[in-house]
Amino acid sequence: VSLGRDDYRTVVVGAGIVGLYTAYHLARAGAGPIAVLDRGFLSSGGSGRNGGGVRQQWETRATIRLAREAVEGYRRFGREFGHNLWFRQGGYLFLAENRAELERLGRVHEVVRSEGLPSRLLDAEEVGRRVPGIAEGTVVGGAFLGSDGTVYPFPAVWGLYEALRRVGVEVALGVEALGVRSGSGRIEAVRTSAGTVRTASVVNAAGGWSGEFSRSCGLEVPNVATRHEILATEPMKPFLDPMVVRASDGLYFSQTMRGELVGGITVPHAPGTQRGVPSSARFVTTMARALVGLIPRLSGLGVLRAWTGFYDDTPDGFPLIGEDPRLPGFVHANGFGGHGFMLAPSASRRVASAVLGEKVDLDPREFSPARFLGTSGAPSAERLQLG
Amino acid sequence: MAPASLRRFRFGRSSVEARSGETVLAALARRGWPSLVRSVRYHRPRGPSCGVGDCTGCLVRINGVPNQRACRRVVHEGDVVRSENSWPSPAWDLLGVTDHLLPHGLDTVHGLRRPALLTGLYQRAVRHLAGFGNPPDFVGVGERSGLSARSAEVVVVGAGRSGRGLAGALVRAGVRPLLLERDPSSGAGLPPGVELLPETTATFLPPPEPPGAGFSLLGFDAERRGLVVRARSVVVATGGYDAALLFEGSDRPGVVTADLALSSARLPLGKSVVVGGGARARAVVDRLGSDAAAVVAFGEIGPDLAQVASGLGVPLYPRSRVVRSLGRGHVRGLEVARRDGGGHFRLRCSSIVLAHRRLPNAQLLFQAGAIRRWSAVPGAYYPETDGAGRTAVPGLFAVGAAARPEDSATPEWEDVARAIVAGGSAAGPSPTPGGPRSELLPYYRELLGERRRGKWVVCPCEDVLLQELEVASARGFRGLEVIKRYTGVGTGLCQGRYCLPEAILVLAILERREPTEVGYITQRPPLVPTPLGALASAAGEFDREAVP
Repeated sequence: VSLGRDDYRTVVVGAGIVGLYTAYHLARAGAGPIAVLDRGFLSSGGSGRNGGGVRQQWETRATIRLAREAVEGYRRFGREFGHNLWFRQGGYLFLAENRAELERLGRVHEVVRSEGLPSRLLDAEEVGRRVPGIAEGTVVGGAFLGSDGTVYPFPAVWGLYEALRRVGVEVALGVEALGVRSGSGRIEAVRTSAGTVRTASVVNAAGGWSGEFSRSCGLEVPNVATRHEILATEPMKPFLDPMVVRASDGLYFSQTMRGELVGGITVPHAPGTQRGVPSSARFVTTMARALVGLIPRLSGLGVLRAWTGFYDDTPDGFPLIGEDPRLPGFVHANGFGGHGFMLAPSASRRVASAVLGEKVDLDPREFSPARFLGTSGAPSAERLQLG
Repeated sequence: MAPASLRRFRFGRSSVEARSGETVLAALARRGWPSLVRSVRYHRPRGPSCGVGDCTGCLVRINGVPNQRACRRVVHEGDVVRSENSWPSPAWDLLGVTDHLLPHGLDTVHGLRRPALLTGLYQRAVRHLAGFGNPPDFVGVGERSGLSARSAEVVVVGAGRSGRGLAGALVRAGVRPLLLERDPSSGAGLPPGVELLPETTATFLPPPEPPGAGFSLLGFDAERRGLVVRARSVVVATGGYDAALLFEGSDRPGVVTADLALSSARLPLGKSVVVGGGARARAVVDRLGSDAAAVVAFGEIGPDLAQVASGLGVPLYPRSRVVRSLGRGHVRGLEVARRDGGGHFRLRCSSIVLAHRRLPNAQLLFQAGAIRRWSAVPGAYYPETDGAGRTAVPGLFAVGAAARPEDSATPEWEDVARAIVAGGSAAGPSPTPGGPRSELLPYYRELLGERRRGKWVVCPCEDVLLQELEVASARGFRGLEVIKRYTGVGTGLCQGRYCLPEAILVLAILERREPTEVGYITQRPPLVPTPLGALASAAGEFDREAVP
């Protein structure tokens, strides 16, 4: 594999949804030539491994605003890119198992509503109507927003990939970014497995591997890669509309357009990004226990397959978006905590602004990479990191 | 009252008798050809095709639990069996019209986006076409909770010829192995000291964590109860299976593999064309006797088979290509082309038996971390093993047809048993055989040049069409991993057993590179769809386990 040129205006590291979207915005702004590098195949990382959830219910206004714009982006996607994401707005239903959880959801609900989104608090009976077969006594209520939903993630990757090729962006698969070279205090070149190429800016959109890449460029960052697992059941006729999320154990699941239940649950994993680590018996059985406990009728349903991927977590739950003040030309587009797919359409526009040297339409206290220099992060924190 | 040896079950509105130990499929097959299910997406007629519990051709709902294989499920008195994904019946299905309305299939990647007003309607329609059955009925009807937790020094998966042979050698070496068998098989003929768990499916074998620690094998039994076996060593003796073949209408009812033709469920196959020129085809002709209508092979026909066939007066068609199955619904014939330039011709038959290629059941080995090695003949990935069955994973062994092509030399059971007792260590890489190239590559190259009229279904579980692979390829998407995600090929209930071996060859041709360069998928657990209830019952076994 070799690259088509030896100099680019921007090199994007990572051909996942965030990297591809960013390259698309840059190309539209006429900021070529651009290359997008990925060491794996298309959709080999988080963009091909997520559960497809897209939601606007978050704890903080900053994330809600970004998520709301992302939903609009996905609604437009079919028209813009000619690919069908099957964006189905069946809602997100957060379950509360006890009063304390219901109170927490109530606080989230207040913030969501004050941003103009019509979320609703449900009692146990209403939850039961939306989750047919839910066991009695497992919930006291929930919070629901009908305009949240799910996408089929792959066509987003295909659509962006084809759009980028049409506008002359080079997407180099099987090329690994190894580090950068700087001169007179800013980015000069990026070292890759296919040789060194000159570039004025580098975007780190490497998902689960972004922390490693930043560090290989000499930049200490707080990103931690955490393995998460997910499984899919046999396909069934439609019976469940919303994405269902439970805070206490991180259980989430939805029924996809193909009829499969797809979801995950939190089990402890050691941090690290070693590839090829397969699904664990602990996850598969824990997930099965949680699903059957919540909806006992599912006990006869077969699990079809399980797989793993990485969350790119930050201490305050906000992503890193913008130029790194320590290395001009190095732009972060990472730390999405497993929600890069949800936020990509809106977040990537801000990343492109940062590359172009324009004002970034975000509160720097929450999103700037500089917030971790000398302080422990944003003054608030986004803790609704589930589903 | 039925005699004690008979079981009665309901199928639709009728009451059916089954002999003791008989499967639902075998019982139904005595009444005629069983039509049990329609395909997803296009509601195409489907019939039992694999006979070993992996395809989607005999899915039925039993006692309120969807997607059970009629060919695996032994009849219990009072079972309520219903057909799936069809109305009013699989033979006459209203939604079968979908297949005719969409002669070129449905492009779900790009299509059905406009007008925006209709997207809700499209979503409802497509959701309804997906999936085979409704969710299970309320609270685990026919599902028993409870877990069987076992431990054994050595567990052998598969009680076929190799599994039994090795189990005997292990007993002679002083080890009492636990033997798991998916089939309802008896312990008759087993050496004393071997414990057999029949009707038990091993489904998930994670690599030991940390490496060198013991194995935890997950599975489930005939009652769909969970099973966990802790073992120091695992021997995979899961054998082989007969591959599918791609041609127009290859998913039609009546196209079956040799596994099904040779199984104990005696389907009314009638006059059958046998595809294949080797020992497997010969076994099928032996079984069919005067019902064998013809033998068609890609290359030459072996002398043994030729002799048996001519004794029965069965015509032979060597160097031939299967172009399409004929009929409306069930198979009524077969169109064949001579590969040496002769024309097309038609054979009358009521079934087509595929006996051309035997592939390894090696998925459990790849789950557990065995290294894959491509074997051009038969065109499949085998686990890397040494002369004593060791794989690269300490304690994991592979024997029999799961480990190597069936005509190659097999190790002595005593050698394997000694290696297991000694504590199997990692294998050094064995020499890669120079072997011949796959004869199927030039075959498929010719076939893809045929004019196409109807659908060529690469993946019958998900109704993925050949055309979808070609579109994805033409748009610049390359490699099996990407094509799998693009088209859904390999993501169905058979876990890719009946589509990936063909898809690799087709992609090698479309991408103009070697099959090995097309890559392969990561073997995702579980091996077969595993009931959530069975897995849930095992959760307590892993609550404190370290996760990598």
